[in-house]
Amino acid sequence: MNTIWIIARKESSQMLCSQKGMIWLLTFSGLLSAFSLLLVSNTELSLLDNAQVVYMMAGTVMAVGALLAAILGSDAYAGEKERGTLVPLLCAPIAPDALLVGKILGLLIAWGVMFVASVPYLWGVGASGQNLGAALFYLALFGTPVVLGFGYLAMALSARTGSVLASLLSTVTLLMLAASPLVIGPGLRGTAIGRTMDAINPFAGALNTFDSVIIDSEPFSAQMARLLLVIVWLGLCLIAARRNATRPDFQ
Amino acid sequence: MINIENLRLTIGGKEILHDVDMHLRPGDIYGLLGPNGAGKSSTIFALLGLRTRESGRVSVLGGDPADDAVAVRRSVGVMPEKAGFYDWMTAPDYLKWYSHFYDSESTDRDLGTMLGKVGLGKETQRPIGTYSRGMKQRLAVARALMPRPRLLILDEPTNGLDPKGRREIHDLLAEFVSDGKTGVLLCTHLLDDVDRLCNRIGIIDNGRTRLEGLIADLLAEQKIGQRYRLHLETEPDTDKLPAGIAVLGHEGGWWRVQVQVKPSEGISSLWGELLGRGWKISEIRSEASSLEELYMSHTGQDKPYSQEEVL
Repeated sequence: MNTIWIIARKESSQMLCSQKGMIWLLTFSGLLSAFSLLLVSNTELSLLDNAQVVYMMAGTVMAVGALLAAILGSDAYAGEKERGTLVPLLCAPIAPDALLVGKILGLLIAWGVMFVASVPYLWGVGASGQNLGAALFYLALFGTPVVLGFGYLAMALSARTGSVLASLLSTVTLLMLAASPLVIGPGLRGTAIGRTMDAINPFAGALNTFDSVIIDSEPFSAQMARLLLVIVWLGLCLIAARRNATRPDFQ
Repeated sequence: MINIENLRLTIGGKEILHDVDMHLRPGDIYGLLGPNGAGKSSTIFALLGLRTRESGRVSVLGGDPADDAVAVRRSVGVMPEKAGFYDWMTAPDYLKWYSHFYDSESTDRDLGTMLGKVGLGKETQRPIGTYSRGMKQRLAVARALMPRPRLLILDEPTNGLDPKGRREIHDLLAEFVSDGKTGVLLCTHLLDDVDRLCNRIGIIDNGRTRLEGLIADLLAEQKIGQRYRLHLETEPDTDKLPAGIAVLGHEGGWWRVQVQVKPSEGISSLWGELLGRGWKISEIRSEASSLEELYMSHTGQDKPYSQEEVL
């Protein structure tokens, strides 16, 4: 059996079949239920239009996915080290790259489950409009590299520091900074700082794409620069993870 | 199977190992001894390619772990000091999952046999999280043996085991090397384990090999023998003693003697000879083992690294 798949199978079953995984899924479903109810109420009261609520829901799913990636990524090496299970893995005939890819594949499976779980909610808030298909497509296309990038970044920090707490705090802080376009107003986003952040921030890049395609119905060709931004983000995080996962802190 | 010459290793700019030598041949059970923080675990990690050496030669089963660590690890079963497991798995599930890394397909029967050998035959359906420390130690030994390796590296394998468990692990290791083609590197603080199992030892202190070789040769070279206290009913004649025995002193009715060379017929023949020479021995007590003497005389000479300094 392929080494990568052996690791990925363990990672995903640890996440999805454990009590921890069930609590995560229930919390995620509860959050989306509450958010959906809020958005549908706003639509009924004509405070928000259909496209806007789909855009907000897609952004929320990506943000929660990135948070999941930060948690799982931080646990990937440092958590194994703290539980004493990292050394047996390193002593086995597993190439460092295979271990890293196996762990990210496990994360990808968990993100896939989250994505599937979010579909009914997106349908619930966006069924009456024309943009549900676009929302799902762009959430998969832009959301996946953003989420995996945060996973790789958390794994890099986890392997380097050997501490779940240090890795998680650093990654979540960065995620909050990156996700700030969700909370800062349009006025601040129009300033030079806001525009610079938008240009280099993969999270903002993905959100702006959701905005363009869901609300403004812009074509795919207009999203190439932002797609490049999220792919570069993923590449840089992968390089950082590979560098640190080759010699993780295990003692 | 293992050849290390002048191994030097630095971690974070600090020199952890320097001048470490080790030679383990097929059929050997090699005891790697040393105080806490001496560099034993670092030596093991260098053997497995988990630490990059600064200089020196390292060969494990004919390969250099710095060149292809994965190939080396494929033929080595390892039991690290911290025997971590996934608590939610059962022992057979875990062993089956772990053995996939070694490309060895284990049947349920193989798993059952192995778990039975380490004394876990009745505990197969419980999650590992419910196991005691001793049970986890046994499972760690099974994990190391499961891929049928050519070389076993065990770090404190009998920690936390009761005397019966220790004896079972000793028997397993003796059986493992009985074909003369495999070898065991045993890293332990328990000199009794080394005394019972090992034919060859290496003593590391302060990151350096102090002594290495066959135990019998080292004891003979160092002229360290086994010490006993004999309780005698009368004053003995110490002028004519059998060869290989020396009187170290006496206090009251207790006489301390050192047996430097054990007679080929066994130690009891020596007591018989003393009895024949008029020594009225009423009680015999063994003192510190000869191995302990050897260990004590080759460790703690330099200022040791602190625990924090040696990783």
